[in-house]
Amino acid sequence: MQPDELSRVLTPKLGENLIGVEPFDGMAGRVRFRREGALELFRIVRDELTFTHLSMVGGIDWVDHREVFYVVWSDSIRQYALLSTDVPAADAHLESATPVWPSANWHERETWELVDVTFDHHPDLRHLLTPDGYVFHPLLRSFKLHEPEELEVKSRHV
Amino acid sequence: MTTPPAQVSPTSKGTPVPPEIPTSSELPMATQPAVPFVEIETLRVRQFIPAAKEALTSLIAEQGQAKVIRPVFNWAGRNSLFPLHWGLACCAIEFAAGFGARWDAERFGVVPRSSPRQCDLMIVNGTVTWKVAHKLITLYEQMPEPKWVIAMGNCATGGGPFRTAYSVVPGVDKLVPVDVYIAGCPPRPEAMLDGILRLEQLIRERKE
Repeated sequence: MQPDELSRVLTPKLGENLIGVEPFDGMAGRVRFRREGALELFRIVRDELTFTHLSMVGGIDWVDHREVFYVVWSDSIRQYALLSTDVPAADAHLESATPVWPSANWHERETWELVDVTFDHHPDLRHLLTPDGYVFHPLLRSFKLHEPEELEVKSRHV
Repeated sequence: MTTPPAQVSPTSKGTPVPPEIPTSSELPMATQPAVPFVEIETLRVRQFIPAAKEALTSLIAEQGQAKVIRPVFNWAGRNSLFPLHWGLACCAIEFAAGFGARWDAERFGVVPRSSPRQCDLMIVNGTVTWKVAHKLITLYEQMPEPKWVIAMGNCATGGGPFRTAYSVVPGVDKLVPVDVYIAGCPPRPEAMLDGILRLEQLIRERKE
């Protein structure tokens, strides 16, 4: 599958929520979309483009905005595709993909605690890797390495 | 048949006489045993039992029963250390190898147990994160007294290469009291056995 094939299916249904489809090395393409059309895009990608398996969810901190990306896999065409969206750093939230791919649950928990992007309507948004009540988001670029004693005080008895 | 008249002992009437308790002067003479108590375990089996009998009798005569319990308890405890079968990271591979055929830690009476209620030794082998910290404390508190902790490897000793990471406890001694530290990344099974033997030295010198 080529990027223009993805674009041909997605453009009439998503309208202006689809920013564009770019070629991406080793994948069917990189679909860039606005966060308002997230759930609609996920449903089309799963049901009509046969990307039934969500391989991973991740986030990148670009200081002024944060990028959330989904890597999906199709068993029938044996290809990956990359779905990515930008959220502003001041208002970093996005609709959860768990209604479409239940495996997004833990990936989104990890993205939330490490990159500080909140997922709306997530069934169980708790800390996954860091202890409950942990106040840091370690994969943000504003996170500085702490002295062990400082981390200890802030991480214990939470 | 005529019953013989009952023998009336003079003590059955009046105030009862308490059973006689042997005082320390009536016990066997306190003699110096041929083999001191703390060296008995180095003997071969054939010489062990008579030497243990002699040394125990001598110790009881010398110090009284109550004071003998502690060294006997230490002697039994240090020869049957049961570590918790609990692995955290790559040091657990060396821990497991230590109980295999090549190093065979069981010859020192060290048998890993799966339940903390049957253990008296916790070998923390691997990186401890803050996420797992309260589980480690729970396991430690479930172990019956007396109990000991060995920090195995650089991560458990001081955080290792992950010391400044955002999620790693910089040394397990911030959570539980540690008796023996073993250096290495990871330490070889010989080092683990050496740590256990040093812990046995600590228990040997343990007082009340």
